[in-house]
Amino acid sequence: MTLAPDEDLMLQVRDGAGEMLGVLFDRYQTPLFNFYSKLTGNRTLSEDLVQEVFLRILKYRQSYRPGTPFRAWIYQIARNARIDHFRKFPAERAFEPEMLPPVLPTDSAQEHQEVELLHRALSQLPEDKREILLLCRFQELKYEEIAELLGCELNTVRTRIHRALQELRKSFHQLSQNTLLKQANAAAAENLPPRGGRQ
Amino acid sequence: MKCEQISELLPDYLQGSLSPDQHRTVEAHLQQCADCSEEVAVWRKLSLLPVEQPSPMSRVRFEAMLQAYLAGSSNNPGDNSAWRKRASSWNFFHWLRSPLGAAAWSAALLAIGVYAGSHLAGPKPPSPSSDLAKVEAELASTKQLVVLSMLQQQSASARLEGVNFTTRDEQLNPQVLSALLHTLRYDPSVDVRLAALDAVSRHSAQPQVRSSVVNALQEQQSPLVQVALIDQLVEWHDREAKPHLEKLRQSQDLNPAVRQHADWAISKLN
Repeated sequence: MTLAPDEDLMLQVRDGAGEMLGVLFDRYQTPLFNFYSKLTGNRTLSEDLVQEVFLRILKYRQSYRPGTPFRAWIYQIARNARIDHFRKFPAERAFEPEMLPPVLPTDSAQEHQEVELLHRALSQLPEDKREILLLCRFQELKYEEIAELLGCELNTVRTRIHRALQELRKSFHQLSQNTLLKQANAAAAENLPPRGGRQ
Repeated sequence: MKCEQISELLPDYLQGSLSPDQHRTVEAHLQQCADCSEEVAVWRKLSLLPVEQPSPMSRVRFEAMLQAYLAGSSNNPGDNSAWRKRASSWNFFHWLRSPLGAAAWSAALLAIGVYAGSHLAGPKPPSPSSDLAKVEAELASTKQLVVLSMLQQQSASARLEGVNFTTRDEQLNPQVLSALLHTLRYDPSVDVRLAALDAVSRHSAQPQVRSSVVNALQEQQSPLVQVALIDQLVEWHDREAKPHLEKLRQSQDLNPAVRQHADWAISKLN
């Protein structure tokens, strides 16, 4: 297995060794897929966009400059690919929560519920807030890299992350409360005597 | 400290990049403030979200795209920087519209359908290992479809690519092998026939490979292919090929260089 840094591989791709892109694909397809799937809730679209990212890398590989962190560069391409896609197909923009992945049966019931609530809370966030949380929590991007990616100041990134997290917390809290309430009601209903009472 | 002041520190706290002093300040605040500590808790819970895996088709699609791209860019004759020139005119949809793209694509879609159908509709597989085996089998059959459709393409470079695609696998499916042998005998392009010979020669343990190479000796008209076939037979040290080589050297309009090469081969096989 090749352990060359991403940047070295990308320079090789740029200079004609197209087959090295396979190594980068293996490293990045899952993180990119998760970025898209958690952002859009649509697996098929996410896979298409991952393909589009690698096609663009081939297309624009001459624009890759030595010293550019590859991770930041590829996420720039990934963001643009998504923006362009929704510009062409605005109707696909809606988050599709029915595409959420199945929760593994080994998870405990509580964890299962929390994951589901988190998914729902995340899907209720406005897209830009969801995106910034995904970038910093799942894609291992540094705040400086996110600032460059979004074209804003470092402090703005901090503020935006905090606001997104606040909103996620509220939404999660609300959903948890509702669920508890429903469960309490269901439990109460079970304890009610059957209709008509005892004969 | 108030929440507002803490909120400025919170993002760096989450990434663990605060100074020890600031870190302690935030921790102290979190002890007293339910909202802020809940925020931190939600942040940590995000790690519970499962990592989703793309379908195995994703790799196959990428591979087909890359191969088509590389083949497309190495097709510009006399241009070392072919990549560069090609890149500007290339886009995904061009590739999809090309016969190769269309074939690879339809095969890939078919396999996606099979994969999705068997996974969504079928009963739960009994164990993860049989599930994995199934996915691998489906993947292999998709590759097969892609290869078979590539070998049927009009463009020689697409067929060449199809032939090269087979050289990655140690085992060849019988259908692919017979398609390759057919290519070796009948493909109109010399380059494709030579590549097919190279590809099938890796599978000389299969009895039909040797007999096809021997038979091809009589049928081929191109000196290049004839020489390559002769070399292959010598490499295998195939004594049974000797009468066929004799027959070849007696053909009337044989290229003199090929005849000489056949003589050399016969002496080698003695």
